[in-house]
Amino acid sequence: MTEIFGVPTQALFGQLLLGLINGSFYALLSLGLAVIFGMLNIINFTHGAQYMMGAFGAYLVGQYLGIGYWASLIVAPVLVGVTGVIVERTMLKRLYHLDHLYGLLFTFGMALIIQGYFRYYYGSSGLPYPIPPELQGGIRLPFMFLPWYRGWVIFLSLAICLITWFLIERTSLGAKLRAATENPMIVRTFGVNVPMLITLTYGAGVALAALAGVLAAPIYQVSPLMGADLINVVFAVVVIGGMGSIMGSVVTGFSLGLIEGLTKVFYPEASTTVVFVIMAIVLLVRPAGLFGKAATTTAGVESTSVGSGLDGGKVLNVAMAVMFVLLAIAPFFVYPQFLMKALCIAIFALSVNLLLGYAGLLSFGHAMFLGSAGYVAAHAAKVWGLTPELAILAGTATAAAMGLVVGAIAIRRQGIYFAMTTLAFAQMIYFLALQVPFTHGEDGIQAVPRGHLFGLIDLTNQLNMYYLVLLIFIFALLLVHRIIHSPFGEVLKSIRENEARAISLGYKTDRYKLMAFVLSTTICGLGGATKAIVFQLASLTDVTSGTSGEAVLMTLVGGLGTLLGPIVGAFVITGMETYLAEWGQWVTVIQGVVFVICVMAFRRGLVGEIAFRTGKPL
Amino acid sequence: MSQDDVILEARDLVKDFAGFLAVNHASFKVRRNTIHALIGPNGAGKTTLFNLLTKFLPPTQGQIVFNGEDITALPPAEVARRGLVRSFQISAVFPHLSVLDNVRIALQRQRGGSFDFWRSRKVLEVYHDRAMQLLHDVGLTEYAAEQAVSLPYGRKRALELATTLALEPQLMLLDEPMAGMAHEDIQRIQELIRTVSKGRTVLMVEHNLNVVASLSDTITVLTRGKILVEGDYKTVSANADVQEAYMGVGHG
Repeated sequence: MTEIFGVPTQALFGQLLLGLINGSFYALLSLGLAVIFGMLNIINFTHGAQYMMGAFGAYLVGQYLGIGYWASLIVAPVLVGVTGVIVERTMLKRLYHLDHLYGLLFTFGMALIIQGYFRYYYGSSGLPYPIPPELQGGIRLPFMFLPWYRGWVIFLSLAICLITWFLIERTSLGAKLRAATENPMIVRTFGVNVPMLITLTYGAGVALAALAGVLAAPIYQVSPLMGADLINVVFAVVVIGGMGSIMGSVVTGFSLGLIEGLTKVFYPEASTTVVFVIMAIVLLVRPAGLFGKAATTTAGVESTSVGSGLDGGKVLNVAMAVMFVLLAIAPFFVYPQFLMKALCIAIFALSVNLLLGYAGLLSFGHAMFLGSAGYVAAHAAKVWGLTPELAILAGTATAAAMGLVVGAIAIRRQGIYFAMTTLAFAQMIYFLALQVPFTHGEDGIQAVPRGHLFGLIDLTNQLNMYYLVLLIFIFALLLVHRIIHSPFGEVLKSIRENEARAISLGYKTDRYKLMAFVLSTTICGLGGATKAIVFQLASLTDVTSGTSGEAVLMTLVGGLGTLLGPIVGAFVITGMETYLAEWGQWVTVIQGVVFVICVMAFRRGLVGEIAFRTGKPL
Repeated sequence: MSQDDVILEARDLVKDFAGFLAVNHASFKVRRNTIHALIGPNGAGKTTLFNLLTKFLPPTQGQIVFNGEDITALPPAEVARRGLVRSFQISAVFPHLSVLDNVRIALQRQRGGSFDFWRSRKVLEVYHDRAMQLLHDVGLTEYAAEQAVSLPYGRKRALELATTLALEPQLMLLDEPMAGMAHEDIQRIQELIRTVSKGRTVLMVEHNLNVVASLSDTITVLTRGKILVEGDYKTVSANADVQEAYMGVGHG
């Protein structure tokens, strides 16, 4: 058998083929994202769910209407595209005048709804979809065996990519599209129906995702979560390529697939993380991505910062005092385990809001700090036998150090790119947590001893544990309160309001943002580490992107840029999860619906609304 | 003029946007304690030149010297710290901060880096009086507690000026301070610029030639990224090239 670099050619080309297949999906999906982004300026977080809908579409029309693979290639994307059009017409279009982050949050909520719904009906195990009879078997090439279907996927993906590129870059329709991207008002005066153009573009982008789904159905199994995992890698691909060009996303997609394939041959342990490592390197060298243009977006989240001046805040102080008293007596009325969970999650939400509400930075990957701090604290308590306070410190310090590294790279990008970069890093940490031995993969670190605080106070006593958690929570809240009411906090708010102006006043805004990021991850780590000790468990759930999304949801429900909002949000969402647990997947759907409602109609959130109506900062 | 007289000098500046020379080998000097206007038709490269001088864009070629120091390689925040502060064409306020806080953010710069997140912002109260004084100077005293976003356009520009002044800049770069202003606002801001220019230097881009004529000591005319002519209003307005390139397009 011939070998190249000590690797059998069969294996090498086999993996390269797999890499090309993956690359095809990366390219098709990032192409759809780029098309949508170009026109709507929205990162379509529903993309993964729409890809999954494409696969299910093919499966369902086959099952119930007897429509085969070939017709499904048209029927499924059209059907899914139509659902996209309906969503755009009825809801998405109402968000265009707002900051782009709202579009992102809306599409994220839609993804939750769709994925939750499909999981409810079809479970999370996969359904088989047969390779069409015409494409069964394959051909034995001198260096490898090529299954016909895989060759077909690569061929069709390439063709679709080229056709899309041609349509957009070389036709008059494409010219209108590109012009409308630059200046919709002027293009409207030419008599072009721009809103229609936008709707069709969104439909087409969604259809592309669905087409990828149909193509994927015979290769991977049809399952509700098939898109969720893939899309996070695709976001990394998009960050690497930059959103600047159609061709860029295609080239980047295919090349990264190939690189992944090669890594599987030469260093399999790194194959799931290589894309993210490349992303980090690209961000360091070329922050705008390989094909992207350096663009500065201004953050403009509707933060409820009412009231001004140095006085004020009396109402807030009273509200905090009342809350502390209520929490102190709460364990005698409410299940302490629930309270402790909500408090730990509230610390997590506080950290996300510190960034989003006060610095205008949406981190979609904060779970990586929550989860990693949990792992380290659990490991420290269980394996090293540290006392709980030291274990929590170790976890918190880990989150701080990670925040410094991730933050230094991520703040090189702004707005939605920042969100995508943090999301991609979180995905990398997720894969690492699956692989490295000390986290124990799917099992997590179990049976973590709560131990004795300072070697003295027995934390297996539920009340002792509760009051420690309450103290840590109060500390975190007061810390955030101080940060946002400090000279540093003032500069942070000015950066959120108008970064260019802050620079022109002489503030090195990147350093302030990094500082805010590290402070936020430290607080987040404190929550995660405490949670691991309380629940005697550090698990994969805490590093998933779903957990990151939940923190954003809590912040949104409670009120962005309000001090108490994230806490209220954390109690509401954690309460929903705990008390609606028997509803299973419907909880995800409900969360998605809450997300969508908040973004569409209730952007101030619960506390934000009160603050707005009373004119008092809360 | 002696070298001490020159506060800012651009030497052979070039900005190449993918083959389009937005600024084409421009050299000029700004004398200390003068009001210097940069004029030219739309697309002449005035704003690009501003962005180069304040380092918001890196020049393709050339040098920028401020107070005898080469600042070509400095990041924009450093340039601001040395006393060269700019305004923007569209009003640059912090919309959801109070008018007072807008100014105070600038005054706060005197502390150096404000990384002290553990301290209460009460330490900033020392800037309160100075901030109110600056607001008084631009006629915004009664708006101090309002959110900047709620101010009418002319007042926003005034606020921006107060914020810029708070930094005690040696050299202020004003990008179209009169753009989009009503007539009575123009009068007010014009007087304001005249007042605040005492003891400092102003370099401004402005389309309103009446304002330019009444305020400026020196005028530099830019067309297609190149410097066409420089001098006082009389010299410049008498120049045939200027009349063709500038007045010809109807900005008289």
